[in-house]
Amino acid sequence: MDILPQLILNSIIAGAIYTLVALGFNFIYGATKFFNLAHGIMAAIGGYAVFYFTKTVGLNMYVAIILGIALAGLVGFGLDKFIYLPLRKRKASNMVLLVASLGAMTAMQALIAILFSSRFKTLTENVGTQKLFTIFGGIITQTQLIILLSAAVIMASLVVMLYKTQFGKSVRAISDDEEVARIVGIHTNKIIGTVFFIGSAITGFTGILIGFDVGIEPTMGLNLLLKGVIASIIGGVGNIYGGVLGAFLLGFLENFGIWKLSGEWKDAIAFALLIVFLIFRPRGIINK
Amino acid sequence: MEYLIHLSILFSIYAILGVSLNLVIGYAGLLSVTHAAFYGIGAYTTAIFLTKSNIGFFSSLILGIAIAVVISLLIGIILSKFKGDYYALGTFGFNAIIFAIFLNWQNMTRGSLGIPGISRPELFDIDFENNLNFLILAVILLILIYFSSRFVINSSFGRVLKAIREDETAIAVFGYNTLYFKLLIFIISAAMAAVAGSLYASYITFIDPSSFQLTESMFILTIIILGGLANLRGSILGALFLILLPEILRFVGFPSDIEAQMRQMVYGIVLIILMLYRPQGFIGEYKL
Amino acid sequence: MKIIETKNVVKRFNGVHAVDQLSIGIEKGLISGIIGPNGSGKTTLVNLLSGILQMDSGVIIIDGKKNKRLLPHHISSFGITRTFQNIRLFEQMTVLDNILVVITDRNVFKSLFEKYSTHRHTIAEEILKKVGLWEKRDQLAVNLSYGQRKLLEIGRTLATKAEVYLFDEPFAGLFPEMRKIVSNILLELQKKNKTVVLIEHDIGLIRELCDHIFVMNEGRLLAEGKPESVLEKEEVIEAYIGK
Repeated sequence: MDILPQLILNSIIAGAIYTLVALGFNFIYGATKFFNLAHGIMAAIGGYAVFYFTKTVGLNMYVAIILGIALAGLVGFGLDKFIYLPLRKRKASNMVLLVASLGAMTAMQALIAILFSSRFKTLTENVGTQKLFTIFGGIITQTQLIILLSAAVIMASLVVMLYKTQFGKSVRAISDDEEVARIVGIHTNKIIGTVFFIGSAITGFTGILIGFDVGIEPTMGLNLLLKGVIASIIGGVGNIYGGVLGAFLLGFLENFGIWKLSGEWKDAIAFALLIVFLIFRPRGIINK
Repeated sequence: MEYLIHLSILFSIYAILGVSLNLVIGYAGLLSVTHAAFYGIGAYTTAIFLTKSNIGFFSSLILGIAIAVVISLLIGIILSKFKGDYYALGTFGFNAIIFAIFLNWQNMTRGSLGIPGISRPELFDIDFENNLNFLILAVILLILIYFSSRFVINSSFGRVLKAIREDETAIAVFGYNTLYFKLLIFIISAAMAAVAGSLYASYITFIDPSSFQLTESMFILTIIILGGLANLRGSILGALFLILLPEILRFVGFPSDIEAQMRQMVYGIVLIILMLYRPQGFIGEYKL
Repeated sequence: MKIIETKNVVKRFNGVHAVDQLSIGIEKGLISGIIGPNGSGKTTLVNLLSGILQMDSGVIIIDGKKNKRLLPHHISSFGITRTFQNIRLFEQMTVLDNILVVITDRNVFKSLFEKYSTHRHTIAEEILKKVGLWEKRDQLAVNLSYGQRKLLEIGRTLATKAEVYLFDEPFAGLFPEMRKIVSNILLELQKKNKTVVLIEHDIGLIRELCDHIFVMNEGRLLAEGKPESVLEKEEVIEAYIGK
């Protein structure tokens, strides 16, 4: 029973990470309505950018972080501008977009592996000497605390932006019906580009956090993405609150699941959950 | 010369994988990204039976097909409830789950250690250690599978599949239980993939789970999109490209340690370019 | 006799009643028209009758058999076939294949081993010649003109030799020459004692072709009867023009 508080804490941390990915994913999905498989790669881009800027270029950590986030955002923006937008203009089917995003993901993942090797790297200098806090009998590192706070702050910011700003209103209009939004005068392409920037930046930030927490490797993006997608589907795709709910549900189920089974089953548990939801509640927990 | 034989054997294996996946994606229009799972089922069945029992290669081939049939039937029934993007995601999920089983069912599969010492086939007095003989076997199987696929495609069944791809509801109202049609082609495709798996296991004489992950399914998807959907010869062309590309890269002078990554990056870029400029691939008859 | 009957069929979308307690009986062997303003539920009704949508409540009786749940692939065994308002052809297949694909064996295994059947090709040739598309048989459906596509869709239903034909706006967007072809097809069906249900907006065609019409409004049956008498009724005129 001693490990229960730690299990719960781990679940919450995992939930927070998945929330961050789901937030970015849902935000973009709401506006574009296709599964952007390249979304996860932004995490790797953020993480590796910080690695490069701190270790190779020698910049200050905070500067590097800002650059990393910006770079991830820019890459996402670029993907939309040069690949997705032209395809959308051509009225390409969702399958085409999905396959194109698959290509983008594979290419970028490989590029990162070529530039930085496939080996696991960490962003912190001294992994073992992070500040530790004890909460209700469980241990949490400083980075993990930051992850929790970030998830909360970013979620709140997104909600505020979506419902209280003009930009947010436009995004919601596009989510409802892109054609109508365009007819009404909203510059849908510009807005969607910005949405990609923001969503990718959030994910880039997530990758950086993970880099400080456990480390980075080129394939981290795919795994994160799939978890984010699963969380989104459980909660109801395109739904911000649903994604959060789904993320925490996933975090808990995974961590409690591997308590009984070995750690290698984590992904299988996540996917089994996905399939269960796809069968019984394809619209997710929260019905829009 | 030996090397050419080696490449030809690999080509045959991937041609079988490509042709069989094309049946599902190109003809029936189902975006299935779980082909590697059935590839793996064939491989592991052959590996386990050849190393742990007296059962020979050809019997293990039949057994592999049988297991693939049963599992694909189950998966196919569950997948039939998912539409569009969710179908693809569901297939990701199954690939991940089956991969996890390969990785964790240590008693059977030895997990990440893999199964070494798989023997070559035994038939009359033919020495299958001689790669040329193995190549002949592989090519015979490829030819059988290719012509079986053509038979399926040119039958009335194949015509109904194409109609399902075009408009499932419209063909349903004319009395076709589309579930059964989709299920049958999925099963046929899985059985063929298992054959490729058995060949692979016996040829390389060692297998481990890493060959049967999501990334492998994505590779196979890439070659059939490249070769052209709904065109069996296209899949053969695609497989040829897949086998020759690393050779070209090596010729151009890329160091072999990044060869795999280089290949992956090229695939990703190829997919993007195809989606943007030529979704029907080399000689496809169906644009995604 | 009533070949198709609905009893209190209801279909809701997000709280709106597309079809509201609808009870109608379609007489065998007649050409029945379904008319009504846009949004009155005509297409929804046909979608319910062809199993594409499921009723929220009510019963559909086909040839005496009660059904609470109709799936698309069932209706063909009931002898029902249909066209679609927005033309649903198999675009990347040839004209010939579009016809062949609906007359081959329904059984999964039998269709796999079905040998080249001259019999089926004869039927396809006959149908395509009737709608004037035999020369274009190797063209992809997506490359045909609008009128040709409509004719192909109608030809597809004829190939099934069904008993009941549900046509959703078969005349929409057609030039007079093609309208004549379609009219003749409908009249021919009636001569063979087939049942035709026609959703249409063109009042002239309704008067000319229909033996019986149903007027729908807001998901309900507003009036029914012979075209001449129904079309004079005040409620009907009001429903179209608005008070």
